[in-house]
Amino acid sequence: MTEQAETAINMIVLAAGDNVGVATRDIATGETARDIKGHAVTALEAIPQGHKIALADIPAEAAVCRFGVPVGIARQAIPTGHLAHVHNIASAYINNDEDHYE
Amino acid sequence: MSDRMMAGALPPANELDRMRGYLRSDGRKGIRNYAVVAYLVECAHHVARRIVEPYQESGAQLIGFPGCYPSDYAHGVLSAMTTHPNVGAVLLVSLGCEEFRRRDLLEAIRATGRTADLLVIQKEGGTAATIDAGRAWLDRQLPQLAAAPTVPLALNELVIGTKCGGSDGLSGVTINPAVGHAIDLLIDQGGTAIFEETCELIGCESHMAGRAVTPDLGKEIVEAVRKADRYHRDLGHASFGGGNIKFGLSTIEEKSLGAYAKSGTRPISGLLKPGIQPPASGLYLMDTINDGPVRFGIPNVNDTQTVTEMVTAGCHLILFTTGAGSVVGQAVAPVIKGVSNSRVFQRMSGDMDINAGTIADGLESIEQVGARILREIVAAASGTPTRSEALGHQEFALYYKTYEPLGPSCLPV
Repeated sequence: MTEQAETAINMIVLAAGDNVGVATRDIATGETARDIKGHAVTALEAIPQGHKIALADIPAEAAVCRFGVPVGIARQAIPTGHLAHVHNIASAYINNDEDHYE
Repeated sequence: MSDRMMAGALPPANELDRMRGYLRSDGRKGIRNYAVVAYLVECAHHVARRIVEPYQESGAQLIGFPGCYPSDYAHGVLSAMTTHPNVGAVLLVSLGCEEFRRRDLLEAIRATGRTADLLVIQKEGGTAATIDAGRAWLDRQLPQLAAAPTVPLALNELVIGTKCGGSDGLSGVTINPAVGHAIDLLIDQGGTAIFEETCELIGCESHMAGRAVTPDLGKEIVEAVRKADRYHRDLGHASFGGGNIKFGLSTIEEKSLGAYAKSGTRPISGLLKPGIQPPASGLYLMDTINDGPVRFGIPNVNDTQTVTEMVTAGCHLILFTTGAGSVVGQAVAPVIKGVSNSRVFQRMSGDMDINAGTIADGLESIEQVGARILREIVAAASGTPTRSEALGHQEFALYYKTYEPLGPSCLPV
């Protein structure tokens, strides 16, 4: 792997079959999200460090899977390359609407 | 590279040999010899704080309970804290009219062979007189504590607690698995580790049950997590909040998945509650959710409260992982702080002992960082202050909670 390809690794996909990857650094709109095993997806919006990007189209009410485990349910269809987070993922357990963060 | 050859390995023998402990009457060894000043009601807090203030860099620590009404739970926590292996001497500060059973506590501490004294503000004659008496007590105790002899200490005598606070989307991918690897290494050497926050293991219960040393213990673990889920649904709020959302976590089950990685891969030997010491070495889960209906509000008000509960089980040290950048330490048990990402490590490096962001950066493996974490544990147990310890952090939180006794299947060892 060339040095250039190594520095282009900006995502981790924890298990085969996951439909989201986690950004290891901020990924800009239009940048390729790429992991060490060869998953590559164009980010269609900004994906901040630690946030998730959809690796495939996720239908509404489908499980969002990370490490082979469901970590939430899509509130609406999430297209490939989009940010997957609280605005389009619901918890199967408890959802809190009043949380504040700046 | 020598680092790659050491990946996953134990610290070298010359580092392990530097660990020393203060031998206590119950056979446990402390890695520190603190003088603890404990206020027994909020009304005594200021006086106790003023007693300790000039001595906080010289081995004195402040803990206490703010409540005036009775609490078996609070009594149990302060009993465990004042007889913790890292504590050498105790000064209790009472106002005089609060409900805390101060005589019972004083006698229980003295029964362990520790120096323990009591100042009652209303008998001493008020704030100024009590502060003077308390400081004179520390002037006498601290030199003796600093000069006390130590004995050798081995990895299999350590009890390590692990906790996350300010988690982000990378916590479960970098620092938490690295902590899990360090815990695996420690358990393999006969050490003891505790993980907790059943309210942040939502969805992990079946996997945990599969690691339990007996099937009945597995059932207790599943029930403990279900209790946490029910309690938080009644409360209307998960153990998950704005800070987690800001840094990339989307749901309590996602946070739980990442948090669970801290527990490593070894079998789970038992289920504890606060104040109960592990009966044998191994890995334990602590149930940190109240029993019974929602009575006192949020069960775990802040990170410090649940760290305090692990310390009551005898943890010498706490491995505390963060993504956003928690700065807390802990009274009585030093905190080793590991951060999930290099960006926060660089911004707050004075507060961070370990950077696991190197894993996300592709520079180190989980095993390499896990081995580094074990070296930090050994260094702290050899007397080297951790970052938060050196910065004077001594957080402590104790409020009202209720627990029923452990069920019979919880400690099969």
